[in-house]
Amino acid sequence: MSHIIAELFPPSTLRLFELIADVLIVLTTVSIVGVLTYTKKWVWLWREWLTSVDHKRIGIMYLIAALVMLFRGGVDALLLRTQLAFPNNHFLGPEHYDEIFTTHGTIMIFFMAMPFLFALFNVAVPLMIGARDVAFPRLNAVSFWLFAFGALLLNISFVIGGSPNAGWTAYPPLTELRFNPSVGENYYFLSLLIAGIGTTITGINFMVTILRMRAPGMTLMKMPMFVWTVLVTGALIIFAFPPLTVSLALTLFDRLFGSSFFTLGHGGMPMMFVNLFWLFGHPEVYIVVLPAFGIFSEVVPVFSDKKLYGYPIMVASVLAITVLSYGVWVHHFFTMGAGPGVNAFFGVSTMLIAIPTGVKIFNWVLTMWGGRIRFTVAMLWQLAFIPAFLIAGATGVLLATVPVDYQMHNSYFLIAHFHFALIGGTVFGVLSGMYYWWPKMFGYMLNERQGKVAFWLFFIGFLVTFVPQYMLGLEGMTRRMYTYPPGLGWSSLNLVSTIGAFTQGAGFLVIVYNVLWSMRYGERDLTGDPWNGRTLEWSIPSPAPEYNFAIVPVVHDRDAWWDMKQSGKSEAFKVKSSAIRPVHMPKRSAMPFLLGLSFFVVGFGMTFSWWVIAIIGGLGVLASLLYGAFDYDDFEELDPEVIRRTEAGLGRLQA
Amino acid sequence: MSQAVRRYEETEQHLPIEFADYHESVKITGFWFFLATDLLLFASLFGTFAVMRFDFAQGATPAQLFHYGPLILETLLLLTSSFTCGLAIYQMRRNNQKGMLMWLIVTILLGMGFVGTEVHEFVSYVGMGATWHKSGFLSAFFTLVGTHGAHVTVGILWALTLVVQLVQRGITPRTSRKLFTFALYWHFLDIVWVFIFSFVYLSSMTGGRIA
Amino acid sequence: MAHLSNQSHHAETPDHEDRIEIGSLTPHFQAHGFPWKQVLGYVASLLLTALAFVLVMNHVLPPTALIAVILVLAVLQAMLQLGVFMHLRESRGSAWQVIVLGLGFFMAAGLIIASVWIMMFKAGVS
Repeated sequence: MSHIIAELFPPSTLRLFELIADVLIVLTTVSIVGVLTYTKKWVWLWREWLTSVDHKRIGIMYLIAALVMLFRGGVDALLLRTQLAFPNNHFLGPEHYDEIFTTHGTIMIFFMAMPFLFALFNVAVPLMIGARDVAFPRLNAVSFWLFAFGALLLNISFVIGGSPNAGWTAYPPLTELRFNPSVGENYYFLSLLIAGIGTTITGINFMVTILRMRAPGMTLMKMPMFVWTVLVTGALIIFAFPPLTVSLALTLFDRLFGSSFFTLGHGGMPMMFVNLFWLFGHPEVYIVVLPAFGIFSEVVPVFSDKKLYGYPIMVASVLAITVLSYGVWVHHFFTMGAGPGVNAFFGVSTMLIAIPTGVKIFNWVLTMWGGRIRFTVAMLWQLAFIPAFLIAGATGVLLATVPVDYQMHNSYFLIAHFHFALIGGTVFGVLSGMYYWWPKMFGYMLNERQGKVAFWLFFIGFLVTFVPQYMLGLEGMTRRMYTYPPGLGWSSLNLVSTIGAFTQGAGFLVIVYNVLWSMRYGERDLTGDPWNGRTLEWSIPSPAPEYNFAIVPVVHDRDAWWDMKQSGKSEAFKVKSSAIRPVHMPKRSAMPFLLGLSFFVVGFGMTFSWWVIAIIGGLGVLASLLYGAFDYDDFEELDPEVIRRTEAGLGRLQA
Repeated sequence: MSQAVRRYEETEQHLPIEFADYHESVKITGFWFFLATDLLLFASLFGTFAVMRFDFAQGATPAQLFHYGPLILETLLLLTSSFTCGLAIYQMRRNNQKGMLMWLIVTILLGMGFVGTEVHEFVSYVGMGATWHKSGFLSAFFTLVGTHGAHVTVGILWALTLVVQLVQRGITPRTSRKLFTFALYWHFLDIVWVFIFSFVYLSSMTGGRIA
Repeated sequence: MAHLSNQSHHAETPDHEDRIEIGSLTPHFQAHGFPWKQVLGYVASLLLTALAFVLVMNHVLPPTALIAVILVLAVLQAMLQLGVFMHLRESRGSAWQVIVLGLGFFMAAGLIIASVWIMMFKAGVS
């Protein structure tokens, strides 16, 4: 017994922050359970949310999870910056610092950026293409629960058993068992494997949804740009995640089952892990940034009151980026020593990718050119994105120059580069998308004034944090060092950077306040089209009814809803009572939740090599899958009368 | 489902049954996309094997391990099972439930024969002391070939659940779609095996080191 | 086929779109009296396999050339499986799987070849 407790709570989890986190987790859990019990909401929660297969609800659950993870990853970042604020600081010990930068990176990439984007995929894509749901609603829920339980598994590592500590890239031999015997890395591998299955399914699901379920008339070249980027992101996912799965699984085999893939002895080859990881890792950058490009391509035309400039060229450049992004991965390890031939090839291919990206920047600017720009919050994020991403791209081309990379790799210059790309691209993108689609999700607007305060705090904080880091990199500060001596010229830059980080934190808090305030006082969206939008999701009420479209729209033009409004058809778009047919709707199911839970049990058992628990979880997985296979009663016909009543209640039924 | 069946009958001269229902046909598209990602999973394992295929360390070499006997047997079993699976789909499209079930069961038995032979092969390697701990080559070999074997095993279990469903429900647009996707999976594993015997086994036997 | 679409049970499958999908299905599935296609496919796959084995068993070529030949035979056999048994080109509407699978093969080959090339600097990889 004491042995088990010692394994669950090693000394590394008995430090100040871990204990605070413990207390907070217990308090939060108790209060949530208390509130749910007091208000008798358990059944509601189970029926309406946990077993839901509705893409709109799944999108909202992704959004909530992503915001929570943004908070967790953000707190990690603030801890790191606090430690680095002053030379010779001992706020965090070296081991603790390792753990926190590891979870910061892992959470921000896998459990914040990706679910935030999937939230917007789920909310927007079916509505934009005039579909009733995604192609595989139940698998969509499976994706979400695998992600959610994977995230849970990684997060409990902080308080039970010990955090991973080998960086978000988990290079061997840092992860080799004999050098890193704690269970922390097992958590990392297992949680990413579990969430990765879900991500792969999401990729397939949205590709098939887009290719097979568009409204009549919506040819590929009439799809909204965001849909295009989701389509190619799906392709990136299905081809890039298998190498990740393999690299993670093989390291896990090394750690748990004694194979010799990436070990230093027995003919293992640690560098092959690096190769496999970045075969995934570079496409991953585009997985998280291409959809952000798509969001901007929706936001810019709406708030410039113009159609997107150069649509075919935008499509072509998205496709070019997709293909090129598979051919650049070695630039993450130029210094490995693969030789001038290999490095030259991948250096050039990396520089090539700047061309289509530059084309896109020009197109956004030309869309705004001469337009009537409305400076809404969604638009402000986009306007901030352009300079931020330009700097990220330009420094990226610098880093792609192999001799330069030999000087700069793993310095703070690199840190600043990819934070400019990932915050300036992805985070600005998802926040823009969140403010843009919020009324469609919830039926009310987020307060613009507060949103602008949040934007300026965050954007200025972002610049103040990361511009000094470029300089620190040029001054020779390397990444992942937990402290530094005074007198190197780094001290004041680090302090400024830390101040910037806390400013960003303040911006995040204002966003949270903005959401909570607007829930209560926010302006209701009664029209369904608060921004004077151009695409189909704005043609239906906010929030969208469960069947999305009472009648499937017929598309004639690229900006379908704009076209209907211009040609006066929007009035005719009101639903004709006689035209309403029964709708094929997926039934809610407990299977996805139980499958996710079973995978969590497998992951937890394997983390500690407690095989009985792992096998019990495995049986749960099997049972869930069998239940799914034999369940033929998974859809129902929605009665037209229900649709008529709903539409009439919204004043959308034609007399 | 009855309406969907009627729809099928009305279009039967145009559509095979597994495509008759719109929603089921979407699932076939989705399964193809799954195969594309599974293809990349195997490619990653092939790549790892390709890179590590000479990292013998202190462990056994292919010359000491591989023999034609079990390899030919495994290959014949799997190629034949792919053929019988194709016959099951052929009978399904002719709406011949008995023929379909018979060929499906033959497919399952051949698959079991394959897995059994492979397990026997692996056990004999381990008995020679060639565990995957010994070298990078052996780790890569066991993982690549073992992942394929695990896929075949999952396929067998899947096919067994399909036998039950097909007996219970007969040939409907939905059950036939399920059998069709299973068949895609099974033939895909056959393709992977072709690359395994070519690239993993035969390629390392080209040097004339095998008696 | 118009009468069909009107009483379509899936209201969200729009009429004319569905007609296009059905119309463009490659009609390879006609069932004859005897499954000649499958039998011929099986025989061909056995022949290709036997050829690969015989070539290797008798070392008819130097190792590198031999490996190239058996890989070509494997690709042929993969195409055979895809065409004969997997009905690759059949679908409702565009056969998206052809594009996705084609890309997949391209990526897979690129992954393997590039990995070997990149890791070649390590002794032992050739």
